[in-house]
Amino acid sequence: MSDAPPPAARPVIEFRGVAKAFGDKQVLRDLSLDVRKGEVLFIIGTSGVGKSVTIKHLIGLLGVDAGEIWFDGKRVDTLREPELAPIRKRIGMVFQNSTLFDSMTLAENVALPLRKHQGMRQKKALVEARRRLDQVYMSEFADRYPAELSDGMRKRAAIARTLTLQPEVVLFDEPTTGLDPVNARRIDRLIRELSGGQGVTSVVVSHDLTSIFSIADRIAFIYQGAVRALGSRDEIRASDDPVVQQFIQGQSSGPMETPGF
Amino acid sequence: MFGFVERAITQVGTTTVRIAREVGGIVVLAFDVLRALFPPTLDGRELVKNLYKMGNQSVPIVALTAFFAGGLMLVQSAPFVEKLQAHALAGWAAGYAVLREIGPILIALMFSGRVGANNTAELGTMTVTEQLDGLRALAIDPIRYLIVPRVVAMVVMLLALTVIGDLVALVGAAITAKAVVGIEFSTFIHSVVDNLKPYDFLHGIYKSMVFGASIALTSCYFGVTVRGGAVGVGRAVNAAVVAAAVSVMLLDFFMTYWLG
Repeated sequence: MSDAPPPAARPVIEFRGVAKAFGDKQVLRDLSLDVRKGEVLFIIGTSGVGKSVTIKHLIGLLGVDAGEIWFDGKRVDTLREPELAPIRKRIGMVFQNSTLFDSMTLAENVALPLRKHQGMRQKKALVEARRRLDQVYMSEFADRYPAELSDGMRKRAAIARTLTLQPEVVLFDEPTTGLDPVNARRIDRLIRELSGGQGVTSVVVSHDLTSIFSIADRIAFIYQGAVRALGSRDEIRASDDPVVQQFIQGQSSGPMETPGF
Repeated sequence: MFGFVERAITQVGTTTVRIAREVGGIVVLAFDVLRALFPPTLDGRELVKNLYKMGNQSVPIVALTAFFAGGLMLVQSAPFVEKLQAHALAGWAAGYAVLREIGPILIALMFSGRVGANNTAELGTMTVTEQLDGLRALAIDPIRYLIVPRVVAMVVMLLALTVIGDLVALVGAAITAKAVVGIEFSTFIHSVVDNLKPYDFLHGIYKSMVFGASIALTSCYFGVTVRGGAVGVGRAVNAAVVAAAVSVMLLDFFMTYWLG
């Protein structure tokens, strides 16, 4: 009998002992984490703990100092820039500040990857871009520039742009930070629909407790450069680790060490 | 006293290392751009957009500057032309200076101030707002998509602007010659055509191509290496304009020597 895990539980992404420092600041010390295919995994922790740094490593925007990162059975942390393109088409990323190109309208932003990767001509790409924007309820703003829109609108457009790649994995960097509760829940629903309807694996960096405890399949709590707790919503809620409890209950005092405070 | 010497030596060392790092970075970027050009995979839309923005919109300011620069050649030489009664050589003198030196240098410096600085600020802002990372995350290479069209557009447009500028400067010189010294247009034109060789024009054109590449690479390099938000963008624009001006003057010196 095989010891292999069932397909649903097989990790599609593996971080193995990843370490990363910026100057003399050691952000990640020994981070190991598996992400299963099709799940919504939340990476949580206080600001500056290395959540965004962790996911940026996955698509080669940052290089590891030590450790390994694997995606779908292939080691990715050793790839050079040109070799990363195929990985980046399979792993999309929605940045915290959207990173829409401010010299382009929303439709042009979404049309760009369609033009570059699917060989569409500009006119056809713009038509397809409007359809994609419609899926995130943004088609009426297709001709507006990012600077003219709210954070929530920009984030939805950024999600539409990332999804043009039809990625197997989407990395969301604080997708609900700075949004009003209504827009935040809309983003949550979008992430959940991606996972449920299209089988997309989502890795969400967040400290939005409402999001975390409403749509996460599993939660990884990062503390002092490593994963301190990993489990389902119920398991994290029931954790007897006082540091985890201090975070999820949002208590200002407790055992948690927060540099800068 | 010893503290002052130590600080001076440290300062010289730090500056030398910084300049070496920046020159090295620009050379690496030049190789990346060359590699991306073979085979050429230029984004047509970006190229056209940059050609228009960098070239067309620079024509009025370049024409204005060139007109008065050409005129100035005549104003400066007028006393000697009168004294030596060398009316037949006025066109040659103005043309020689304009085509070989004044045209390429002046227009390159104008271009650096207007287009290069703008380019650094735009790329710098894109860098600090993670738009370049956004491109990478979409599996689009920023060198091929953003940098190469800008470098090509800047080289092509500086060359075109130099040709226009040379022409306008000669017109400015001819009009000034007539107004200040009373030299007829026909005399001026004969003086230019009879005494200047095509190589005098090409000499300036070769220079403008090299100046264009230098301004493009320095402005792009300082743009994509910005650190530290809005303050960083300001510093990068400053550094790019200074570096471009210094490189234009140095390259001019060596090219004048080599091209003869």
